[in-house]
Amino acid sequence: QCPQKWKKVYCTLCDSNKHSRDRCPSIWRVYLLRDDISQERKTPKGLSLDMEKVFCYNCGLTGHFGDDCSERRSSRVPNEDGSAFSGENLSYVLK
Amino acid sequence: AIMTDFPWIVNHDHSKQKEVADWLTLEIKDFVSYISPSKTEIESRNITIGKIRSSVKALWPDADLHVFGSYATDLYLPGSDIDCVINSKSGDKDNRNALYQLANHLSKDGLAIDVEVISKARVPIIKFVEPESRIHIDISFERTNGVDAAKLIRSWLDSTPGLRELVLIVKQFLHARKLNNVHTGGLGGFSIICLVFSFLHMHPRIVSREILAKDNLGVLLIDFFELYGKNFGYDDVAISVLNGEPSYLPKRSWKDLYPIRNSFSLAIQDPGDSTNNISRGSFNIRDIKKAFAGTFDMLTNQCFELNEVSLKGRSGKSILGSVIKYRGKQR
Repeated sequence: QCPQKWKKVYCTLCDSNKHSRDRCPSIWRVYLLRDDISQERKTPKGLSLDMEKVFCYNCGLTGHFGDDCSERRSSRVPNEDGSAFSGENLSYVLK
Repeated sequence: AIMTDFPWIVNHDHSKQKEVADWLTLEIKDFVSYISPSKTEIESRNITIGKIRSSVKALWPDADLHVFGSYATDLYLPGSDIDCVINSKSGDKDNRNALYQLANHLSKDGLAIDVEVISKARVPIIKFVEPESRIHIDISFERTNGVDAAKLIRSWLDSTPGLRELVLIVKQFLHARKLNNVHTGGLGGFSIICLVFSFLHMHPRIVSREILAKDNLGVLLIDFFELYGKNFGYDDVAISVLNGEPSYLPKRSWKDLYPIRNSFSLAIQDPGDSTNNISRGSFNIRDIKKAFAGTFDMLTNQCFELNEVSLKGRSGKSILGSVIKYRGKQR
């Protein structure tokens, strides 16, 4: 049993209670955006998400990312904090 | 020169980068240029192949020798073998006699020592060492799929920035853990390339064209280990690169995959033959997945720790070192 079990963790960086602030994935999951789009957060011309090109690592079908799959999770490793393959992992709203 | 376990960081200190992800990106680029072959190595290899090609032609005028595998795509680590294939107009060199005939001929010409003729394998080969360059060479006979695959991979490398760098890191990673040998259930070179190629084309930030892979190799490497170490549904999902278009498909809808011995297995559809699973031999996928997951944990831990350390405490440190465990000769 984990002696720390009663301790509540909370992350002020991303508002999550899955990890503490010093172990927040946002520390390393930092993307350098293309120069030509980081100027404005709006969707510039020619920048959209073709959902047919989006595939799911969990069920193999298209139209959603693996983290957002409604099927039973195939991998037995838990994914509490979310991964790169999530609709959340986009800098502007395309969900 | 300073002795270090991480020779690629000598004179390349990126510890002052504000973001650890950028530091890792720069370190990946340094490592890749460190292990990439030098001009001298490339020349030595080309001279060696040239000598063997002439010798083969002298023996069999209607035959030609082609390189394939990692040598043909420049995706090799120092000291790896060269894969060659001999194809002839008559197509009759795929037999025991021809194998021994060539082995003797190359020995007489002083081009081969430590020769082994392996005629009983599914793909018969001769293995030997070219004495002058000390390069290990494998020659197979009368097949074109390796040469075709090398062509395809070269086109992927041209169209997919970041593919070469990540493949070399993943190759070195698996090599250091002895998980890259197909005979012991590890991942072969082509499977590794397909995993990275598919990953790069699936990544949300790349699909949405928000980022350039070249600027984000560090975070992409961590995302790679995360995907294949923690989340990928090996039981249910197959990877396809048919027509160079990466996609996933539910295993149950790929009828040619069955029967399979173990549902927890990596399935990659051969781009040249939709009925063939190129990672069929990688029966040790459990250990490979574990190694990926362990490295994801290690890398992210490194990032959290280094993020806390003052700039002064960071200098001379390596993020990649423990991942790739490079124990080769100083280059």
